[in-house]
Amino acid sequence: MKVAMIGWEYPPFKAGGLGTHCYGLTRSLADKGVAVDFYMPKTKHNTRSDKNNLVIKEVGETEIFPYDRPDDKALGGKFFEAVYRYNDLIVQRVRGKYNLIHCHDWLTMKAAVALKEKMGVPLVVTIHSTEYDRSGWLYPNQWFIDIEKEGMQKADRIIAVSEFTKRVIVEKYGINPDKVAVVHNAVYPIGEGEKQKVVLFLGRLTIQKGPEFFLRAAKKVLEYEKDCRFVVAGMGDMLPRLINQAVDMGIAQNVIFTGLLTEEEVKHIYRIANIYVMPSVSEPFGITALEAMSAGAPTIVSKTAGVSEALYNSLRVDFWDTDEMANKIISLLRYDPLRRTLVERGKRELELFTWDLVADRTIDVYKGVL
Amino acid sequence: MTSVCLYFEVHQPVRLNRFSVFNIGKKSDAFSTYFNHELNRWIFEKVARKCYLPTNNLLLDLINEHQGKFRVSFSITGTFVEYCQRYIPELLDSFKKLFATGAVDLIDETYFHSLSGLYDDLDEFEEQVKMHRQMIKKIFNYKPKVFRNTETIYDNRIAKKAADMGYKGILTEGTEKVLGWRSPNYLYKPVNSDIKVLLRNYTLSDDVGFRFSAREWPGFPLTADKYAKWMSGCDGDLINLFIDYETFGEHQWIETGIFDFLKHLPGEVLKHNHLDFVTVSEAVNRYNVVGEIDVPWAISWADADRDVSTWLGNNMQMACFNELKDIGKKLKQIDDKDLLYVWRLLQTSDHLYYISTKGAEDGDVHAYFSPYDAPYEGFINYMNILQDLKQKANQ
Repeated sequence: MKVAMIGWEYPPFKAGGLGTHCYGLTRSLADKGVAVDFYMPKTKHNTRSDKNNLVIKEVGETEIFPYDRPDDKALGGKFFEAVYRYNDLIVQRVRGKYNLIHCHDWLTMKAAVALKEKMGVPLVVTIHSTEYDRSGWLYPNQWFIDIEKEGMQKADRIIAVSEFTKRVIVEKYGINPDKVAVVHNAVYPIGEGEKQKVVLFLGRLTIQKGPEFFLRAAKKVLEYEKDCRFVVAGMGDMLPRLINQAVDMGIAQNVIFTGLLTEEEVKHIYRIANIYVMPSVSEPFGITALEAMSAGAPTIVSKTAGVSEALYNSLRVDFWDTDEMANKIISLLRYDPLRRTLVERGKRELELFTWDLVADRTIDVYKGVL
Repeated sequence: MTSVCLYFEVHQPVRLNRFSVFNIGKKSDAFSTYFNHELNRWIFEKVARKCYLPTNNLLLDLINEHQGKFRVSFSITGTFVEYCQRYIPELLDSFKKLFATGAVDLIDETYFHSLSGLYDDLDEFEEQVKMHRQMIKKIFNYKPKVFRNTETIYDNRIAKKAADMGYKGILTEGTEKVLGWRSPNYLYKPVNSDIKVLLRNYTLSDDVGFRFSAREWPGFPLTADKYAKWMSGCDGDLINLFIDYETFGEHQWIETGIFDFLKHLPGEVLKHNHLDFVTVSEAVNRYNVVGEIDVPWAISWADADRDVSTWLGNNMQMACFNELKDIGKKLKQIDDKDLLYVWRLLQTSDHLYYISTKGAEDGDVHAYFSPYDAPYEGFINYMNILQDLKQKANQ
């Protein structure tokens, strides 16, 4: 079986779960004898594969980014044009004999649909997030929705990263539920380090990820646990606002904004973090929760996050309920048995979240369309 | 002759309020802030409607219909009786009416359905058993002869204590861990004391309690005549069917046919000439022990493990249990009656049950009974309350 996989980013250089997923999936597919040509934009880093079955093919440069918004000032009106141009480029460059095309998220969906028609092979689409998620369900942009909808309609099979996302696909995009398979994400375990009294947020600083709720909970925790530190790791358009928020609340001395971190720095921060909080407004899956658990940090995750439907050993909160979030953070700081039980059982539970299993389930989907 | 000994556990815990760390140390009344009285009332009235009242009525009819040949035993916890007194006095009247038939026996236990039998010394346990004894005396004017500890938790020490307190019999689980090759259908005695032990026939008991409506079970559908036939084929003196009373109408809904099953059970059993019904006291009077059992480590009827891991199986449960014990020592020193009562309500085993992290099928059973989304929620809530009570005790 040979697959043309059209992706966007590939570790070590990545911005989100999509890149992590493509990395884990393609490597495990290759190990299972599925040949994958992975098409992605050319970057200044030379991305390579060390596996015979897996070839990374850089298509060309582009200035767009999967989490960009069309109102981004740096791109201005050129955004739509840039997307079309890159998609045209993919259609020209993807050549050879493939059994199927597998595409991830909206950015390359137009190309994937065109390739399916041109080559006459089935199309599988994985949905890591929808426009509704990325907009935090506030003013979703119809332009993205139309692209996503067309891709979902033309796809022979859709993989959703959670039941939560499957529901969005069915209800918001009108897709037949029988066409949608759910495959949860996985994690390469990170390992535990010397823990400090640090509560961690890690993610893009956007409405979708709910960092302002993290700060509000921090404020409440600090009234009781004065020596606790809160780390906000990541970049995003909300950063200036969040810094102001921390200053206004008078907690700036206990909050650290790290900016963008390298992969090694991310691992380090997971290893020292005592608690991981994921207060996402909308989270199709949330691989970071698994990463944090694998580094020995108990997690508090938003009830609606896809990962929380699959996970027993994490604490769940409504993202807006910052009182409860603070209650749980303080409980984790004070009650060691709670922490220990979550970490021990969590690590055991993570053994179920392997890329090997993700590849098996993906192969099942492939077989269903061939 | 083989006797069928039917016994029901009748219990409701006093469930907790949501209590966050921010509530700890506030000057507020413990009883009204710790417990969710609205939820408790709602659940109690619901279960009374679905289970307690209709099942009591049915049992009364059956006892009358069979002129006392159908006999049953109950253990009714103190918290349950208080619920009746507070919300549905006529439910207590209906238990009195049942008892007045002479075909119903009552069993003692710890008033608060607690794990005090597992404390380092048994003072608190004895006190709670005495409270239960007084309560039964006051309401039913009766002194039970048989004892049953919370969820049939049993070990040599508890058996000896029950014997010392004058009980003639004690109930527990008929598990192979204790019996080995031997049958639960006889009376045994503990190695260290003189009391008769009635052992639950868990296969036949769980056929009704757990499997009754399980379609994948080969015994499905379970009818009274089939069940009576199974019992008529049993060897031994005594078939102990120990069942949670809520099996009728609550765990097994009315739609499953559980009430029809119960309705026809006495008639079908009595069709077999070598079968009859006995209460627990009658069983103890009529039959002799056939051997000894040695139980150094506590067993119970709970979960597949049949031990106390249901309540004390993880670090969180142990932490709460130890905290609870420590607070008690302090409260007894200061002798604050109101706080002692609250502390005892917090000892009810259900609070620890909700914190169990058992997986698979036991986990599903736990989730069914739990007012929390997850054991971790149960722990945080319970531990927060214990921290508040500790502060109150130290003031």
